Amino acid sequence: MDFLNSYIYYIGAVGLILIGLYIILVKHNLVKAIVGLGILDTGVNLFLISVGYITKGTAPIFSRPGIDSKDMVDPVPQALVLTAIVIGVAILALALSLAIRLYQHYGTLNLRKIREQKW
Amino acid sequence: MVDPVLLIAVPLGLAFAIPLFALFWKPAAKYIPPVALAFNLVISLLLLPKVFENPVIVSIGGWQPPFCINLVAGPVGVLFSAIIALVGLLVSVYALGYIKEGAAEKYHMLYILLLTGATGVVLTGDIFNLFVFFEILCISSYALVAYLRDRSGIESAVKYLIQGAVGSSLLLMGIGLLYGQFGTLNMADIAEKIASASPISLFVPMVLLITGLGVEAAIFPLNAWLPDAHSSAPSSVSAILSGVAIEVGLYAVARVVFTIFAASSILLFLAFLGILTLLVGEMCAFSQKNIKRMLAYSSVGQIGLILFALAIATSHGVTGGLFQLVSHTLSKALLFLAAGYMIYQAGSMEISALEGIGRKMPLTCLAFTIGAFSLVGLPPFIGFPGKFLVVRAALATQETIFIVLISMALLGTVIEAAYFFRVVQVLYFRGGRYEESSNAAKTEEPNPPAEDAPVTALVPMFIFVVLIVVVGVYPKLVTGVLNSAASELLNRLDYIGSVLG
Repeated sequence: MDFLNSYIYYIGAVGLILIGLYIILVKHNLVKAIVGLGILDTGVNLFLISVGYITKGTAPIFSRPGIDSKDMVDPVPQALVLTAIVIGVAILALALSLAIRLYQHYGTLNLRKIREQKW
Repeated sequence: MVDPVLLIAVPLGLAFAIPLFALFWKPAAKYIPPVALAFNLVISLLLLPKVFENPVIVSIGGWQPPFCINLVAGPVGVLFSAIIALVGLLVSVYALGYIKEGAAEKYHMLYILLLTGATGVVLTGDIFNLFVFFEILCISSYALVAYLRDRSGIESAVKYLIQGAVGSSLLLMGIGLLYGQFGTLNMADIAEKIASASPISLFVPMVLLITGLGVEAAIFPLNAWLPDAHSSAPSSVSAILSGVAIEVGLYAVARVVFTIFAASSILLFLAFLGILTLLVGEMCAFSQKNIKRMLAYSSVGQIGLILFALAIATSHGVTGGLFQLVSHTLSKALLFLAAGYMIYQAGSMEISALEGIGRKMPLTCLAFTIGAFSLVGLPPFIGFPGKFLVVRAALATQETIFIVLISMALLGTVIEAAYFFRVVQVLYFRGGRYEESSNAAKTEEPNPPAEDAPVTALVPMFIFVVLIVVVGVYPKLVTGVLNSAASELLNRLDYIGSVLG
């Protein structure tokens, strides 16, 4: 149980990453693949956050007296995740708009049927 | 004092100012990219002599290097930013006449953003910042591939986006693992602390970083998106994707392998991958009937050769790799630009449709031919010293494995020569369609006018031709720069010392 307690966030993050990769690799529907991309992104973000997280830590703001800097969570990964979320939103929005266009051209979102371009 | 920050800040500002300018005067959109890139080219060339003595380190926000985001304008960074600005400038002049349909101001905005991202990747000294600039590059190239909104463009943009997004997630995870181990994002700081970590705990982040960056660099098992994306994009975008984007990916791989991890054990594997990429690319290019797909696969092959040369990891090898990289950038950009108007004229991308077009568009086809000969490595052009340096470096190692690999690379070059000569033969010596049609037209019109590409396209193409010939005849013009760039990549202690002081 001790192992589970200390690594629970990493297990969750890696689980999300694997689920996302599985969806992207296996699902035929483009929208599902994009959902997989979103889950993969979330997993990576959770992973980054858990790198800097301390159990029962507080926000890294020196506003109240009596807070030791050892109890604060690392702010750098949170800043990274903020950036990564914005990038992820941009990619998802672009992917969905491309999916709309793709549907207009082919009348389907099944990636196995859209294969005009080959080796 | 010229500040390297301007190389990123000015184009970024101008990119987002384009819609504003276009509100008042519509054509302003297409004149801004040449201005921004000419500015970048001037700044890079002004910086170039300075950085030979000492790399310029810019700390942003007034913090000292391990804690701040910093730019490292060393010989490699400034060399790359000069090449990016040069190719970007010429292609943006080409685009003045080439981009007619669609939302032009969005094209020009994304175009500057793509090149700003590329410049940022080569200049930054912070690994997360590298990721951010990489994403700027990637997202703008996804959108540009789909710019024409046709069936093939959208399909390849979707493929490119999904593969690229998975790649960048892996890259981000690798960065997270490195941060977890070392508590720093500064590349020099990580490189300094890396000796104290156990090799096993470094293996996973290294694999994640190389895989993530390898998607953009199109190293063999990860190159499935490249032929689709490069062949479906508008030709000016293909020129930039082939000439700049994948080279930037390779730069990032080289920076990660040489500077951050100092991973000498993985070099042989990378050399194998390079040769595999080369052979796969050249063989697929040989069997193509579509001229842009052929050029795209030929880019895969060239990337393989550059990767192989970098993986030799002697100063000759890295110099040869960088020389080959410069030569590929110039030649392939020229080929795509020339092919753009040849396709426009013929109305089809099939090689068979281009029969005899050399008589109709003599100047464009001359430029294409010079680009093709240069890429194959014929002597008066820039490709020859590039390939010569790579072969010499491989032989100088005197290791059997590298000699075997370089002989396979030469086999790839023979295949490359075969398909490029075939296209050139089709352009000039297959009469076919045009002869018949001109015979038929003789009764009415004795001299059908030659319809060459417009001046805005011919000028950049012939600047490329002049550069290819001049550097091919006097390779010493660039070898000095490339030597110091190679030593920056190989001497990681100097890099660490100059950043951390």
